[in-house]
Amino acid sequence: MSKLLITEITRMGPAFCVIGLQHENEKIRSIRPVPSFSNGWPLFPHHRGDILECALTPFSGPKPHVEDRVSTRGFTRISTVPEPETVLYLRKSELAHSLPDLFGCSIHENKKGSGLYAHPREARRSICGCETQNLRLELCANELRATLALPSGEVLRDLPVVDRDWRDFIDAALAEGRGANRTARLERFLNSHFHYKIMSCPHHFVRIGLTRPFHDLCWLMLDTLFPLPKQEWLQEF
Amino acid sequence: MNQPRNASPEQENSLRRLVEECFRREAGSSISIPGDNVDLIESGILDSMGWVSFLRTVESASGAADLGSILNDRAASFSAVLAALRDCNFPAPAVRRDAPPQLVSKSFSPAVITGTSAALGSRLLPSEEVDRAFGMPVGKLRDRAGIESLAYAADGETELTLGARAAQEALRAAACGAHQLDCIIASSETHHDYPSLSAQLHSHLLLREDCAALDVGGACLGLLNALAVAQALVASGQAQLVAVITADVHSRTLTPGRVDGEFGGLFGDGASAFLLCRPGGHVSEGYGLGGFLFGCAGQYAAAIRVRAAKAGGLDVTFDGEALSRAAITRMEKVLAAVELRSGISRSSVGAFATHQPNPRLVALLAKQYGVSPAKFPPIARTAGNLGSSTCGAALHQALQIASKLPPPARQPIFLASLGPGLLFGGGWLTSHT
Repeated sequence: MSKLLITEITRMGPAFCVIGLQHENEKIRSIRPVPSFSNGWPLFPHHRGDILECALTPFSGPKPHVEDRVSTRGFTRISTVPEPETVLYLRKSELAHSLPDLFGCSIHENKKGSGLYAHPREARRSICGCETQNLRLELCANELRATLALPSGEVLRDLPVVDRDWRDFIDAALAEGRGANRTARLERFLNSHFHYKIMSCPHHFVRIGLTRPFHDLCWLMLDTLFPLPKQEWLQEF
Repeated sequence: MNQPRNASPEQENSLRRLVEECFRREAGSSISIPGDNVDLIESGILDSMGWVSFLRTVESASGAADLGSILNDRAASFSAVLAALRDCNFPAPAVRRDAPPQLVSKSFSPAVITGTSAALGSRLLPSEEVDRAFGMPVGKLRDRAGIESLAYAADGETELTLGARAAQEALRAAACGAHQLDCIIASSETHHDYPSLSAQLHSHLLLREDCAALDVGGACLGLLNALAVAQALVASGQAQLVAVITADVHSRTLTPGRVDGEFGGLFGDGASAFLLCRPGGHVSEGYGLGGFLFGCAGQYAAAIRVRAAKAGGLDVTFDGEALSRAAITRMEKVLAAVELRSGISRSSVGAFATHQPNPRLVALLAKQYGVSPAKFPPIARTAGNLGSSTCGAALHQALQIASKLPPPARQPIFLASLGPGLLFGGGWLTSHT
């Protein structure tokens, strides 16, 4: 049985994609448990920071999703670690300071419009953490997008935000019961309080992931943004 | 469907054509144009990434910023995009895509170029000599970069003397006296002294004391930045006659021992000058500046960095491969955006006055963009990369060639350049009669 510290829960269409950290031979590395029937979990009742016990096949997935391991049994929660400690472990796993270091390959810009991608054969992994110099979330035509600056000064624009908790927070902020001008209020929050809360947080950290190959390209997305949103923030706007 | 505020049917058609063209670029030409009210995401025509990508292309092509925010709470449809553009008071291009050159030449031109010039360093060195100086295999610059020779400044030639020479020749070409200038705008990526280059040029050219002197940065993008500023000054009436001057002397900065030959060996020395004024009056013909677009593609910020190091050294980060890829991708994107924004098809462009990192990349850009490499004036091949003056020398040459043609045959000129950052910019000029 393996122990995984759950660090990523992302919304990928109708399913959830999950990544956790595994301690092995003095190293901490990312593992993505996947069901045998697809790449995502239709239901995932656990949370970031949960330590789950699970049974995983030893075979890694095809490049660049080398973190994939088929889960042969359900998850059992053993314990939970707080958010700052989760980030502490994330900082000890895959970490990059520049764009080419993220996935060990060149990152290309979409020639037609926006977005960044890697070639599946070149990328050495599909998930990586990084510190950021700055970060902005925006609602672009109803789609949540992130723009961030890496420590190297390189800027990543229009990354789709797939972090489950942040997506849930945005949905809650736009829920009909919250009164008028919800979008404008949310935009104001994202442009003001949000920035302060995120950038001043000592355990601010992001993880960038690669999508499954689509037309033979893997697109960059913001898998995880720490700190996670808090329900009480909804009262502030 | 909402009707545009004060939009003529022709403007409405231009708007629709622009949106359709952006959609085709995103979805591919095999996908038919959907109905106005079809939700592009719900119908599966575009996924959410494609939708945002399409909107970013529309933003870039139209100059309507922040469409994404305006489209929150609206459907992902053509009608929503068209309505948002109207809400932004998007100015439909004045030029028709299918317009013949003589119609194109009548497009808006708040500033017209009346005189131009370029000056190169007078010491012309075969590239093999530069290979040797940098300790590189002989033939490397010619074989790998396509550079045959480099124009180096001779003793006594500086940014000031080259810039002043170009300015004086431009004034002569326009039959204008230096005292008529209301403003000079200088740009250089190698001149970092004070008084600044514009101040030195002001004194050297004996300009009126109330002639303004501005310095504009941007490195290789400097010419476009300066032209955009000049256009604004002329259009606003703050200046009647403006000189834009670029001057770069790399051969004294990017020297062997200070930088690697793969970087320093690419650069030559030169200057360019352009006089701009309002159309009308004594200006009967020339090329008018169209629109400009600018931006910064920060994902390439680490590909090139130059900063002063201790003991007078230079700390240069130059990832040639990444930079080459970035330059081609971004310049192609800029030219495509200029094409959409101007409504001028690439096939009807007479010349591309672009930045030229090296001749090989220019050939590759021409191939990728699907135009003849002969439409790019060959500056870097014989003089090297001249920094902010590359685009200037190319534009000067393009205008010289066009001036020999009868006005109706003068085709539009596209501009595109890049600077570290990665700053980018583009624009267009059309014949003014």
